[in-house]
Amino acid sequence: MNDNMIELSHVSKSFQNRSVLRDLTYSVRRGEILGFLGPNGSGKTTTIRLMNGVIRPDGGEIRIGGFDPIHDGDQIRRISGILTESAGFYQNMTGLQNLRFFADLYGVQDLKRPAELLEEFGLADAATKKVGTYSTGMKKRLGLAKALLHDPDILFLDEPTNGLDPEGIRMVLQQIAELNRRRGTTIILCSHLLQQLEVVCQRYVFLLGGAVIEEGTLAALEAKYNPTITLEVETDLTLAGGQYRGLPARRVDAGRLSFQLHSRDEVPAFLRALAQDANLYSASQVNQDLESLYFQIREAVKNG
Amino acid sequence: MDRRMNQRAIWAIARKDIQAITANFQVWLPMLIIPILLGVVMPTVAVLVLAYAIDLSNPSEDVVTLLNWLEKIPSGGLKATLESYPIVNQRLIYLVANYMISSFFLIVPLMTASVVSADSFAGEKERGTLETLLFAPVDMLSLFVGKVLASLIPAVGLSLATFLLAAVTMNAAGWPLFHSLFFPNINWLPMILLVIPMISLLTILFNLFVSARVATFQAAYQMGGMVILPVLLLIGGQATGVIFLDTVVVTVIGLVLAVINLVVLQQVLKRLDRNLLFASQIK
Repeated sequence: MNDNMIELSHVSKSFQNRSVLRDLTYSVRRGEILGFLGPNGSGKTTTIRLMNGVIRPDGGEIRIGGFDPIHDGDQIRRISGILTESAGFYQNMTGLQNLRFFADLYGVQDLKRPAELLEEFGLADAATKKVGTYSTGMKKRLGLAKALLHDPDILFLDEPTNGLDPEGIRMVLQQIAELNRRRGTTIILCSHLLQQLEVVCQRYVFLLGGAVIEEGTLAALEAKYNPTITLEVETDLTLAGGQYRGLPARRVDAGRLSFQLHSRDEVPAFLRALAQDANLYSASQVNQDLESLYFQIREAVKNG
Repeated sequence: MDRRMNQRAIWAIARKDIQAITANFQVWLPMLIIPILLGVVMPTVAVLVLAYAIDLSNPSEDVVTLLNWLEKIPSGGLKATLESYPIVNQRLIYLVANYMISSFFLIVPLMTASVVSADSFAGEKERGTLETLLFAPVDMLSLFVGKVLASLIPAVGLSLATFLLAAVTMNAAGWPLFHSLFFPNINWLPMILLVIPMISLLTILFNLFVSARVATFQAAYQMGGMVILPVLLLIGGQATGVIFLDTVVVTVIGLVLAVINLVVLQQVLKRLDRNLLFASQIK
């Protein structure tokens, strides 16, 4: 049996002669959490729609759980949960009414499930309030609850952390990781923000202009594109000329400086030297955000 | 139809849409005004005027038209029934209540069906919920049937309620003159059982089709308004004496509507397409 839950090969799609996807090929293994990354307009949402059979590709082949979305869309939709960017709830209905409605559409047998999910996502108190009164974060959480109603094998999450506060982000990502661990759910997570996702995603696919420009684990990608390391240090060192011992440096705030190192191996020697020149209170490596990693990948693609 | 439908989803969709109407009085209150005015107040006032306020010794132009109409009724069942009423006012009331009003009454299901069904898909698009609906594992036929029921049930239900209310008030208004029930006669049987459901269904099919294609409620509602034209023709035809809506004519109209519905339904079902519907809601 094929170990890939999701397979796209040479998929193309255009709207009114504007090409949105060109020759898109990638796959997701069963039980994997994939970060599907790219700037707005790179084709992430279009790909999700194609995979769910609500729009048709112009060319190429798609297999989701062995099904072709063009002919067996309902089969795919039955095993898939989706959180769209706008979540799309009925504003005049309560959270519970909305979930009950979608439980009917998804054929959920357990009638207690909607209430249980509201509880699980911290919405029990808001269950009988109209969704129109919900905050963005509450709507996102309700959207996630809706996506999980029928215990799907595949989860499509389009910008699941957009509009959430840090606490909400942590909660949503925890739920996603937990679900994957407990049930082996295959998850595609679309986002334009990398920082939050590296906690949960096992692999990344980078999309640009409707094609995959790079894919791999974060470690592999960072090793390939980003040999420099940013170190943020709490110290009373006085900086002169934007450099320290030949390394680029800048002031973050009154008590903190940031340094660019070429590799992880340089860190111990660097810190020893710094400790001799000034007081050193703490040091931490700053994670690359998507934009800089993305920029480097883009540069590499352009030059390569 | 060999495709199996998803009954649970059908009723969930119909229930949701009907609750959305009943839960909001700003939606249903305006929907009641026309039915009550056209279906209850106007006919009752007509009965009152014909019973107590017309001067038959010196009839006005309108009353003369009605009297001429009464004259022209060919001999047969209706003529006999009319002649069983000794007073001319009674005959006029019987004729107006059971025949003239029926074409006006058609506006009730038409209006209700139009308002509800124009909002059907267009409303989901405007609120951004059609996307969520199309991502669900519900086949297009079930979705469509759910949407048809969501409009058909209120349209037929409201027509029926209006009819019953009209029967009570009209009979009450005419009671001192008749001392018996004069409304409805057999003419209303094909009207209620056939014509009203069929004209509602036609309006809904037309509206759903339009509403699935256009992006807003406004556009759908304006396009859907075209269905009212044949009914206006019917009213005009009857007022000028060209058409007389007796039981046979009403039944034939109902059957013709049923056939048209069948053809339209076939065409609509052939054109049900998830991808097209999805594409129509992308902003």
